[in-house]
Amino acid sequence: MLKNVMLGLVMACCASLAALAEEPKSGGVINVVIQPEPPGLMLAMIQNGPTQMVSGNIFEGLLRYSPTLEPLPGLAESWTVSADAKVYTFKLKPGVTWHDGKPFTSADVLFSLDMLKQTHARARNNMVQIDKVEAPDDLTVVFTLKQPFGPFLGIFEVGSMPMIPKHLYEGTDYKTNPYNNAPVGTGPFMFKEWQKGSFIHLVKNPNYHVKGKPYIDDIYWQVIPDAAARSVAYETGKVDVLPGGSVENFDVPRISKLKNTCVTGAGWEFFSPLSWLWLNNRSGPTADKRIRQAILYAIDRDFARDVIWNGLGKVATGPSASSIKFYTDDVAKYPFDPAKARALLKEAGYKGEKIRLLPLAYGETWQRWAEAVKQNLQDVGMNIETIATDVAGGNQKIADWDYDIAFTYLYQYGDPALGVGRNYISSQISKGQVFNNVEGYSNPEIDRLFAEGAVATPDAKRQEIYDKAQKILVEDVPVAWLLELQFPTITRCTVKDLITTAIGVNDGFRDAWIDK
Amino acid sequence: MLSFVAQRVAKGAIVLLAIIVMNFFLIRLAPGDPAMVMAGEAGASDPIFVAQLREKFGLDRPLPEQLWRYVKGIVSLDLGFSFRQQAPVAQLILERLPATLLLTGTAFALSLGLGIMFGGLAARRPGTAADSAITIVALLFYATPLFWIALMAILLFSVTLDWLPSFGFETVGGNYTGTAHLRDIAAHLVMPASTLGLFFMASYTRMTRAAMLEVRQLDFVKTARAKGLSDAVIERRHVLRNALLPVVTLAGLQAGTLIGGAVLTETVFAWPGIGRLMYDALIQRDYNLLLGVFVVSSAMVLILNLVTDLAYRMIDPRIEYNP
Amino acid sequence: MKRLLLKLRRHPSGLLGVVILVIVVLVAAFGPLLFPTSPWRMVQRPFLPPFTLSKVPLGTDALGRDVFAGIIFGARVSLLVGLVSTLAALLVGVPVGAIAGYFGGRTDDALMRFTEFFQTIPSFALAIVLVAILQPSIVSITAAIAIVSWPPVARLVRGEVLSLRGRDYVQAAIATGQTHRWVIWHEILPNALSPLIVLASLMVATAILLESSLSFLGLGDPNLISWGYMVGAGRTVIRQAWWITVFPGLAILLSVLGLNLIGEGLNDALNPRLSRDGGR
Repeated sequence: MLKNVMLGLVMACCASLAALAEEPKSGGVINVVIQPEPPGLMLAMIQNGPTQMVSGNIFEGLLRYSPTLEPLPGLAESWTVSADAKVYTFKLKPGVTWHDGKPFTSADVLFSLDMLKQTHARARNNMVQIDKVEAPDDLTVVFTLKQPFGPFLGIFEVGSMPMIPKHLYEGTDYKTNPYNNAPVGTGPFMFKEWQKGSFIHLVKNPNYHVKGKPYIDDIYWQVIPDAAARSVAYETGKVDVLPGGSVENFDVPRISKLKNTCVTGAGWEFFSPLSWLWLNNRSGPTADKRIRQAILYAIDRDFARDVIWNGLGKVATGPSASSIKFYTDDVAKYPFDPAKARALLKEAGYKGEKIRLLPLAYGETWQRWAEAVKQNLQDVGMNIETIATDVAGGNQKIADWDYDIAFTYLYQYGDPALGVGRNYISSQISKGQVFNNVEGYSNPEIDRLFAEGAVATPDAKRQEIYDKAQKILVEDVPVAWLLELQFPTITRCTVKDLITTAIGVNDGFRDAWIDK
Repeated sequence: MLSFVAQRVAKGAIVLLAIIVMNFFLIRLAPGDPAMVMAGEAGASDPIFVAQLREKFGLDRPLPEQLWRYVKGIVSLDLGFSFRQQAPVAQLILERLPATLLLTGTAFALSLGLGIMFGGLAARRPGTAADSAITIVALLFYATPLFWIALMAILLFSVTLDWLPSFGFETVGGNYTGTAHLRDIAAHLVMPASTLGLFFMASYTRMTRAAMLEVRQLDFVKTARAKGLSDAVIERRHVLRNALLPVVTLAGLQAGTLIGGAVLTETVFAWPGIGRLMYDALIQRDYNLLLGVFVVSSAMVLILNLVTDLAYRMIDPRIEYNP
Repeated sequence: MKRLLLKLRRHPSGLLGVVILVIVVLVAAFGPLLFPTSPWRMVQRPFLPPFTLSKVPLGTDALGRDVFAGIIFGARVSLLVGLVSTLAALLVGVPVGAIAGYFGGRTDDALMRFTEFFQTIPSFALAIVLVAILQPSIVSITAAIAIVSWPPVARLVRGEVLSLRGRDYVQAAIATGQTHRWVIWHEILPNALSPLIVLASLMVATAILLESSLSFLGLGDPNLISWGYMVGAGRTVIRQAWWITVFPGLAILLSVLGLNLIGEGLNDALNPRLSRDGGR
C-alpha cells in the first residue's frame, strides 16, 4: 500500500517536472504562408499587411505590446513620463546592432522619425502632437509634446514606427535605395533571399540583442496565390503556419480538426479589426438617418458571424471594438429585426429607389458576405444593386464618394484617438481617401468630444468623454457596424509561443520555437 | 525564304507597336490606379501619401509624355519599371517566362502529339468502336471548361489519391538538386500541362481524323495504291503529310488561345508564370507590368504564327509564299 | 431548310446535340417559372449534400443557397451571353470580311491588318482587360466576348467571298449593273451561309466557355447568377462540398457539348458543298 502511494507520488512529481521542463528548443525551419505577396519589404515606405507580417520580424520598434495592450520594452528598455504628461524620456537598450554590425543609437531614432514623417502616413498622423525630439546621448531619446496625448505610448509598434538604419538611408533617395530590396533592421531575423512569386527566406540573427533568441534557424514565407492550394500545402505538411486571412473561412473548421493543429484568434488585439458598411450620409436614400437605422436592423449579423466567419468574432455594438481602450456597450442596441426595419423604411418614405452596394474585393468570404447582406436588405424591401469591382476600382469609388453602401474593415490601433476618431470627425472629410470620414458625417458635438478625448488626462476622464461619443454615434448610425473580426491563425501544435504579443505573427517569431 | 521571314518580322513589329499604343490607353481607362490600390492596402493614408505614390509611379505626368517614354523604352528593350514590385518589368517577366514556356510548350507538344496519334488511330478504323470511343472522349474534353477540368483533376489526383502535388513549380523548401530537382518539377508539371493540353488535344484529334479521312478519298492516294505502294508508306508519306496541313494551321490559330488558357491554368495551379502575373498586374493596376506582359505574349503569338507558316511550307513545298 | 433537317437526321450525334440544346433552352425559358425561388436566397443550412433533401436536390452552397436553383437560373445567363455575343461578333465580322474579300487590294490589306491585330493579342487576356475596364456586368461581358470573337468570322467570310467572287453568276450580276451592296447581299452571302452557320454554332459554345471562365475568375455580373460563377464560388470549398463545382460544371459541359454536336452535324451535312468549292 505504501509502495503504491510512493509510486504515485514519484509519478506525480515526475509529471510536474516534465511540465516544468517545457524548455524552448533551439533550431528548426519553419514554413509560413504569406498572402498576398508583399509589394516590398521596406516597412517605412510600404505599410501593407503582408509587408508588416514579414518585416515585423526584420525591423523593430521602440516598444512592443502585450495582448492587453500594455507597453513592453522593445528597442527602448525603459521610459519615464513627466508629471505634466508632456515629456517622455526613453532609455534605449545598449549593445544593439544592425544586421550589418553597426551599432543602433539614438541618432537612428531621430533619423527614423524624420524619414517616417515623409514616407509613412499613419506615423505622420501619430506624430502631430510631438513638439520636438532630442537625443542627449547615444542611448536616450526625449519627446516633448505640445499637449498631453493619451495614446502616445501606443504609437511605437514596429509597423507604426519602425526603426530604420540611418547609416544606410541618410542622404539617399529613399525610393531607389537598394536596401529597399534587402532590408537591414535590428530584429531577430535577417533578410536572406526573395524569389519573386515563390518565397521569402529569412535567417536567424546570430547577434540578436536578446540572448538565446530567436530559437528558429530559418523562416520561409511561401507565396501561394491560390486559397485551395494553401490549404493543401498545410495538409501535406509543406507549410506549418497559416496566418490570419490565408485560408478561406469556410475551410477553417475542416483544417482545425486535422492532427496536430492548433487554432487561435489571438494576435490581433493591437489592430482590433472592425468591419462596417460605409453609408453615404450626403446623398441618396442613406442620407436619411432612419434608413441607416433600418439597414442596421435588417442585417442578420449573427448569421454572418456563425456561417461566414465560423463563429469567430463578435457582433459590433458601435464605433469602438471591445478590445480597445475606453469601450462601452452602454449604447442603443440594434438586434436583427426585419419588421422594425420595414417600419423605419416606411416612416422615411422609401419608395424603392435603387441603392448601390459595393462589396470588398478581398476574396470569397467578403463576396459571400456581400451577397448575404444584399439578401437581408432585399428581404425588407430595399432595391439593391451590387456593383462589381476590383480593389482599385472599389477604392476609387469610395474615395470619390460614388457609392451608397460599401463594405470595409479598418484597424483601430488600440485607442479611439488613433483609430476611431478619423472616421467621424469633420476635419477628416476630404475626397481621395479611403480611411477617413468617407461617409460625410458631420456633428460638432462629436468633433468636440474627440478633440478633447485625445488630450484629456487622466484615463477616467477619457473614458467619460468616449462614453458620450459612443452613445451619440450609435444613435446616429453614420455607418452600419457589422462585426469585430477575428482572423484565425492556424499552426501545428508543435510550434509554440508564436503568438505572445498584441500583433501576433508580425513580431512573433522572436519567441517562437518548434517542439520536435 | 529569308526575305519572307524579314518581311514578317517587320510587319509583326508594326502590329506590336499598335498593340502597345492601344493597350496603353485602354488600361488607363480602368477606374482606380496603382496609388489607390496601395493606399487601400496600407491601412491608413492621407493626400500626401497618395500624391507621393502617384509621383513615384509617374502618374502625374501628362499621358502623351508617359506614352512617349514608354515607347522609347521598348525600342531599347526596356519595358519600364514596376513600382508596385520595385523591379524592372523586363526582369519580372523574364523571371516568370520560363515557367510559362515550360507549361505551354509541354501542353502544346502533348496536345499535338497525342492529338495526331489518336486522330490517326481513329481515321485508320473509321466507324469502329475504337473510333467512336476516341471521338466521344475528344468531344467531351473539347466541351469541358478548362478551369473545371483543372479542379476535377486536383480533386482526384491530389485530394483523393494524393499522387500529384496540386500547386506550384517545385516543392516548397525542398532544395532538390540535379535529377531529383528535375523530377520534382516534372511531378508539378504533370497536372497543369495535361489539363491545358487535353482541351487542345481534342481539337487536334478531331481535325487530324477529319483531314485524314478526307485526304484518303483523294485521287492521288488512289493512284498511289493502284501503283502498288504499301499502306504504311501511303499513310505516312502521302496521307499524313497532307492531313497535317490543316492541323498545323489550326495550331497556329490556337496560339493565342493557348496562351490565354495558360492564364487560367496558372491561376488554378498557382504556377508561377506570366499568365498569373498578368492577372495580378491587372488587379493591382500595375500598368507597366500589364503592358509588358501583353507585349511579350503578343510577340509570342506572332512568333508562333511565323513558325507555323514555315512548318506549313516545309510540309508542303507546293505552297507558294504570299505573305 | 427541310433539306438541312433531313441531312441532320442522318447524323445521330447531331440529333443528340439538338436534343441537348432544346433541353437547355427549355430550362432557361421555363425553369425560373416553375421554380421561382431566387437562387440567392438562403433556404437551408450551408453545405447540405446533394440527394439528401428533396427540396434542395443538388445540395446547398456555403451560404445555404439552393444549387439546383442556381443551375436553372444560370442557364439564362449562359445562353443569353452566348447568343448575343455571337450575334454581335457576326454583325462586325461579316461586313468586314465581305468588304475585304469583295474589293480586294488596299481595302483588303487594311482590313486584314486590322483583323490580324485583334487576333494577335491573346483573346482571353484582352477579354479580361476589357471587362475590368468596363466594370463587370452582363453588357460588358457580352461586348468583350464579341470583341475578341469576331476575327475568325471576318477571315472565314473573306475566304468565302474571295472564292465566290469569280463565279459566273456574280460576274453577270455586276455586268448588268447591280450595286456592290446588292451583289454581296443577294448573290454572295447566301452561298457563304453554310460555313458561317457552322462557325456560329461553335462560336456560341466558345462564348459560353468564355463567359464561364470570366465568371470563374470573379469577373461576372454580380447581380446575375451564372454557372461559371458557381464553380468559382465553390472552388475554395471543393474539399468539403464537391457538388458546388461539379454540377454547374456539368451543366456547362452539356450545353457546350450540345452546341458542338450541332455544329459538327451541320458541318457534315453541309460538307460536300465545302469541299466542292475548295477550301484554300
